[in-house]
Amino acid sequence: MKIKFEHLGQNYELEAQQVKDQIWVHFQGETFTVASDSQKRKQRQASGAGKSGKLLAPMPGKVTKILKSVGDLVAVGDSLIVMEAMKMEYTLKAEIAGKLSALNCKAGEQVALGHQLGMVVP
Amino acid sequence: MISSEFKRLAIANRGEVAVRIIKACEELGLETVLLHSEADIQTRAYRMADKKICIGPASTAESYLNIKANIQGALAGGAQAIHPGFGFLSENADFAQACADAGLIFVGPSPKAMRTLGDKVSCKALAKKLGLPLVPGYEGEDQSLANLIKVAEQISYPVIVKAAAGGGGRGMKILRNSNEAAELIESAQREAQSAFGNSVVFLEKYLDRAKHIEFQIFGDASGRVIHLMDRECSVQRRHQKIIEEALSPSLSPELRRKMGEAACLIAESASYQGAGTVEFLLQDDRYYLLEVNTRLQVEHPVTEMVMGVDLVKAQIRTAQKQSAFSEDPISAHGHSIECRLYAENPYQNGVPSTGLLGKVEFPEGPGRRFEFGFEEGDQITSFYDPMIAKVIVWDESRPRAIQKMIRVLKDTIIFGVHTNIPYLIEILGHPDFVSARMTTRFIDKFFPEALKARDTSELSEKAATQALSYFSGSQLQVKGSSFDSPWQSPWRGV
Repeated sequence: MKIKFEHLGQNYELEAQQVKDQIWVHFQGETFTVASDSQKRKQRQASGAGKSGKLLAPMPGKVTKILKSVGDLVAVGDSLIVMEAMKMEYTLKAEIAGKLSALNCKAGEQVALGHQLGMVVP
Repeated sequence: MISSEFKRLAIANRGEVAVRIIKACEELGLETVLLHSEADIQTRAYRMADKKICIGPASTAESYLNIKANIQGALAGGAQAIHPGFGFLSENADFAQACADAGLIFVGPSPKAMRTLGDKVSCKALAKKLGLPLVPGYEGEDQSLANLIKVAEQISYPVIVKAAAGGGGRGMKILRNSNEAAELIESAQREAQSAFGNSVVFLEKYLDRAKHIEFQIFGDASGRVIHLMDRECSVQRRHQKIIEEALSPSLSPELRRKMGEAACLIAESASYQGAGTVEFLLQDDRYYLLEVNTRLQVEHPVTEMVMGVDLVKAQIRTAQKQSAFSEDPISAHGHSIECRLYAENPYQNGVPSTGLLGKVEFPEGPGRRFEFGFEEGDQITSFYDPMIAKVIVWDESRPRAIQKMIRVLKDTIIFGVHTNIPYLIEILGHPDFVSARMTTRFIDKFFPEALKARDTSELSEKAATQALSYFSGSQLQVKGSSFDSPWQSPWRGV
């Protein structure tokens, strides 16, 4: 859907579309998504602010290997969980130092985007 | 003896390459049978094929990698031939043999040629016999972690570990020191097992400032092998090519002649028939034979653009025992670049982006070519490769082709999933790419992190507000507006 608008006396046109609950915009060679403030707050809550001990699945996919056990002490950058999606492996690393207090996944399990896989407490 | 006549061809693949093969068949007046998984019904290839046969569930092991299911599907669909595309079973000699056993023509080389050249061990043995230069490495049977680590130390770091059965970057890792060797070797073995059903890995000395140069070879039905010049694919991330071009801007006429001769020599000595690619690494004007891919390449369009040929039709005509080309393609004209569009978020370090596709619009024009397998309303799933489309441009010179590609990418609209387009644009404008100094370490060196979000201008904020207020009437509660995800990174740690 083309939307025309004016800015500082100039005319512009953008292409926009709502796909599911997100608005997509293509404007001057760039594609971006737009959200209202209320939606953003929801997303922030889901991700936790800044560096966090929450280990969230960054994509839908399969957990292929768990490298640490509950109770293990971990340092920043330690590899914790290996996931696979679209035939590529991704390694989730610890963002904060601390103790792995919980693991909510098993090797071989399919998980959804944003699923909490585990928790590191400082 | 199988007759070389056929009227109906089965496609053992998916996505944009399935569409590419269907188009070639349409031009040749052949009917098509698409062998697809349960997850691939909402795709462009499915809508285009004359017949569709479901060969199994989404999981590749049970569908696209299942030899028996593909053969049975092709027979059930009344096909007399199978085109394997690239990836999946395309380099599997057992599949080629199973086709022959079932009375089906496999569009590709003979199982014997595939074993000789596609198997990395026997390919290297042949190259050695022919006196072709190779990179030092280990292809032994002792796959124990302890032995692999010991051998890696002997070769001396950096060492690359890769899947014996593979290609396309799966199961490949670089070991830089002994500390990370164990973890990365095990990871490569798992990826190899998952992608190819075989966990055997090889080790090789990693050349740290090499260029990836490959030659397109073609063996015609009369047994003659020619090459159709070269491509450069140095821009790779995790050993997966991102940008390819033809010809390579890095070869002197002398090097081009020698490497082309080497490529033809190894293919000829294996009685190679059909399209294939001989890959080399080039460092300090010395070249090393890397491997031979016994199939069509993802990047075959750039060769087609500069050489003025249709490689897929040439493959099919060769399988029909007809002449591949109406006249020998001998010289290149102009310059061609291909960019692979991946469904991933470049601002989040390439995390796969899946979901429902919205509007998909490519800016048509002279010297622009778009290969895509999905359209608006289709679902991008996490079961398969993240490559959703390829953009190919041709122009008179390399600088003009780069300029054209940047414009084409900017004007491409894909809604519903994030793509690597912003990342590709950054790469195309990088001084090392523009001056053709890029090596296979280009991405590691210059783009090791996720792309940084660009500051939003007042104008783009205004555009966002406009879009938001337009749609807010329906479902969204608006309390002011602002940009969201490409730049904000809700998921971390990958």
